Amino acid sequence: MNPATNLIDTVTAILLITNLMLLGSGYLTSCIRYAALQGLAVGLLPLLLHAQGSWGRAAALAAAGMILKGVVFPIVLTRILRDINVRREVEPFVGYGTSVMAGVGMLAFSMWLTRRLSLSAVPESALIMPAGFATVLIGLFLIVSRRKAVTQVLGYIVMENGIYAFGTALAGGVPLLVELGVLLDAFVAVFIMSIAIYHISREFDHIDVDQLDRLQG
Amino acid sequence: MNADGLLWMTLALPAACAAACLALRDPGTVLTFVRLAGAAAAAYLGLVACVVFKTGVLSGAGDWLVLDALSAFHALVLSWVFGASSVYAGSYFGAELREGSLNARDIRRFGALWFGAMASMTATLVCGNLGLMWVSMEATTLLTAFLICIHVRPLSLEAMWKYLIVCSVGVAFAFMGTLLVGSAAQRLSLGSMDMLLWSRLRPAAAGLDPATMKLAFIFILVGYGTKAGLAPMHSWLPDAHSQAPAPVSALFSGFMLSAGMYCILRFIPLTEAALGGAGWSLRLLAGMGTLSILVAAVFIAFQQDAKRLLAFSSVEHIGVIALGFGLGGVGTFAALWHTLNHAAAKTLAFHSAGALGQGRGTNSLKAFAGSLRAASPWGQGLFWGLLVLIGVAPFAVFMSELMVLKAAADAGAYWTLALFLLGTGIIFVGVLRHAVDAAWGEPPAMPSAARPEPHPEVPGVTQRLLVWAPLALLLLLGVWLPDWLGTAIARAAEVVGGAR
Amino acid sequence: MNWAACVPMAAGLAAAPLLTSVINRTKAFFAGRQGPPLLQPYYDLAKLLGKGAVYSRTTTWVFRAGPVVGLAGAVGVLALIPAAGLPALAAFPVDWIVFAYVLSLGRFFTVLAALDTGSAFEGMGASREVFFAALAEPALFLALAALAILSRNLSLSGILSGLQPGLWMEKGPALALVVGALFVVLLAENARIPVDDPNTHLELTMIHEGMVLDHCGVDLAFIQYSAGLKLWALSAIIVSLVLPVRAGSPALDSAAFLAGMAGLSVAVGTVESCMARLRLLRVPALLLGACALAALALVLVLR
Repeated sequence: MNPATNLIDTVTAILLITNLMLLGSGYLTSCIRYAALQGLAVGLLPLLLHAQGSWGRAAALAAAGMILKGVVFPIVLTRILRDINVRREVEPFVGYGTSVMAGVGMLAFSMWLTRRLSLSAVPESALIMPAGFATVLIGLFLIVSRRKAVTQVLGYIVMENGIYAFGTALAGGVPLLVELGVLLDAFVAVFIMSIAIYHISREFDHIDVDQLDRLQG
Repeated sequence: MNADGLLWMTLALPAACAAACLALRDPGTVLTFVRLAGAAAAAYLGLVACVVFKTGVLSGAGDWLVLDALSAFHALVLSWVFGASSVYAGSYFGAELREGSLNARDIRRFGALWFGAMASMTATLVCGNLGLMWVSMEATTLLTAFLICIHVRPLSLEAMWKYLIVCSVGVAFAFMGTLLVGSAAQRLSLGSMDMLLWSRLRPAAAGLDPATMKLAFIFILVGYGTKAGLAPMHSWLPDAHSQAPAPVSALFSGFMLSAGMYCILRFIPLTEAALGGAGWSLRLLAGMGTLSILVAAVFIAFQQDAKRLLAFSSVEHIGVIALGFGLGGVGTFAALWHTLNHAAAKTLAFHSAGALGQGRGTNSLKAFAGSLRAASPWGQGLFWGLLVLIGVAPFAVFMSELMVLKAAADAGAYWTLALFLLGTGIIFVGVLRHAVDAAWGEPPAMPSAARPEPHPEVPGVTQRLLVWAPLALLLLLGVWLPDWLGTAIARAAEVVGGAR
Repeated sequence: MNWAACVPMAAGLAAAPLLTSVINRTKAFFAGRQGPPLLQPYYDLAKLLGKGAVYSRTTTWVFRAGPVVGLAGAVGVLALIPAAGLPALAAFPVDWIVFAYVLSLGRFFTVLAALDTGSAFEGMGASREVFFAALAEPALFLALAALAILSRNLSLSGILSGLQPGLWMEKGPALALVVGALFVVLLAENARIPVDDPNTHLELTMIHEGMVLDHCGVDLAFIQYSAGLKLWALSAIIVSLVLPVRAGSPALDSAAFLAGMAGLSVAVGTVESCMARLRLLRVPALLLGACALAALALVLVLR
């Protein structure tokens, strides 16, 4: 046991707690804040896990990830919220309490799965893998269980965080070029989604995705 | 030029064209540029593909850029679809520009995104690193999203949002799968830089961790399958195809779906080698293919909208392709060939439907009635295109579907064979009815404010060429498959691991 | 008989009402008032003990048994709680399950007494009390289970007196999660804000106070005293976790422990001053959150 393990555990805990808070909250501004916190925590991972390998790579990755997920995404999303004047998730398809329970269930499932697969992770980060996996599932859950388009973007960001955590926990790590490409894609995706939300709110006067149902059959 | 240069140029050329589109001021010039440069970029890509057929694998940048037989064959398909659609886009958007439904800014944006989409699709093919392949695939989603709503209308926004969310999320799963492959490759003790390189993984694939590879392949299949439009992840497809402008629908259907399939194909040999060649991944793929055919059959029978009809037909054909790959053996060859045939036929059909719809202001099949009698060749294009798509002999689509059938019979998969026949049978009857109505039906009474014939000043030669060239090609391929193409397809099939 | 083992229990019995007092002083400080004297709870108890009781004719013996069993439960719980490194009066393997259920037994009888009155408000209070208690219970169990695994010891005394400051260096995140979960359980079990407002006199929003509306005199004194004991017991667990000080001399350890208890009461008071009571519908989310924290701690400990 070393201090780094404690830090990694802390990051894991933050990752999972923010997940549950996202599942349990309907205020979009708070949700954005939780997602940002999660992004910052996840962004730290490369430094904690691969620091002994190559500092430069880890630092570049951590800086890019944290700036993007902790600063840029919240700013973009907050601006969009202000423009479209929506503050709350009203009546999600699945209630908040049930969502939290489902989140815990998904965590249990991912732990069972990763244990069965004997995935080769960095040794200290044995918990990051299931946590990342659960984060992906929870992001997906947010996307399908909520009505507001903004929450769907948040769900996408959460999924991205989970994948990032999962990838970082892989022993050896993914090549820097790929990681940066993934971050770039995530950035462009969130950017494009917010432009789309802006257009949708102008054309439809709402951003409830369940009412986007005119194309059928 | 050496391999490095050739490969970099395939990416740099469309990227430069995209930049040029933003720099040009006059929208008319932009459209002419799209037409000429699009054809040129497509021709270049086709040439590079032919170089691969002639000399073998091109690889550069330490195997990070690779064009082998499989990707070269897909590059050939892309080259055809992109070239034809670029030429067509020039006249299609020219008409809208004159009508005033698009302004100069829209046109410039279209040009840039159009070439950007080409660049990212090419990147999907030439990236030898599975991670970067994913990055390019996600980039195609992002770049083409705004192509769907060139006209910002409620319906196209709805389609774009569904496309964006469903595909981004789906493809995110594919990245999970890619990471899992990386995890399965830990045992091979490759370096971090080589971990996701296909050229390193393929020879050592037998040493991949089987359990992890299974999970990885499921993620890959769901992820890239979403992009390929396999049922049940096809929900975005009919909306996006019907709302996008016709050239974009053609590019989606003709190539982007196949690109999703191509990404799955990259993982099949890895999975099969890791699992000892038991055909586990192939069975999954075949199952999804069959399901796609049946789902498409149900929806096609009651379709009222021409472009949605074509979209569901794409679900069917991607299902046929998946089924072919899933059956293995001669099926792999058939599926690759079918990819080419479907691309040519579907591009033609979307172009025709788009032009007809533009003239009539609606895509409803009822409005198309009697289009065969109209002066423009598009009515004939749609009619023959539909006939080719439902598999009328002796066009090439019929031949490749027949080959898939033969593969099913060879493999002894009689249930699959029966379901395949059932699905295509329903589609045959359903689409034939629509096609006949559209061709010879009584044209609806034109409202007094009927629009004039849409493309008065487009050179008739281009129009005719866009209609008759693909038909001629499909007929030719149906009766006689040239040796060089047959060899190229066989080589590509070898990469997938079929044609044993 | 080991007299040292009586010390934690005796201290609890004597000092428990002080905690309520500290909380009230903290709230008064935040409100800019001077607040009641520190010994006010004792005066109240003395006053109530001197009064007779009035019983409604519709009630039965159950109503009278409620406060008595409640007090007995609270005293029983206190017997299991160690303090300042000293073992508890009674310690045996898995006594934390007994701890939880004796706590519940007291609540069960309070609830029965409330239902026995037949009053609508008391029935409502009882129903809410049971609902929230049912949600808080898993959090308590998961947290204690995590602790048991962490310290490889099965009795509360063993768990809490075996804690070393070094454990925070090794298993900090898990311990922090346990403390967080237990703090929420403490607030819920003792009917504090944000779960329940001890000062409210609007029957519709009351939970614990609603249940005991019909008690007076000695019975009310018993109820208030047992509430104080419950607060002491749960606080003692949290303080032993947060401040595992082992200075070597019992005097120093005890001083640290008492300071910790006072600090925790100040924290509770601060929470009450800074937060509003949650809407009843949101309380389950808070308690589920506590369960999730505890479950997460268990996961961190188990791997």
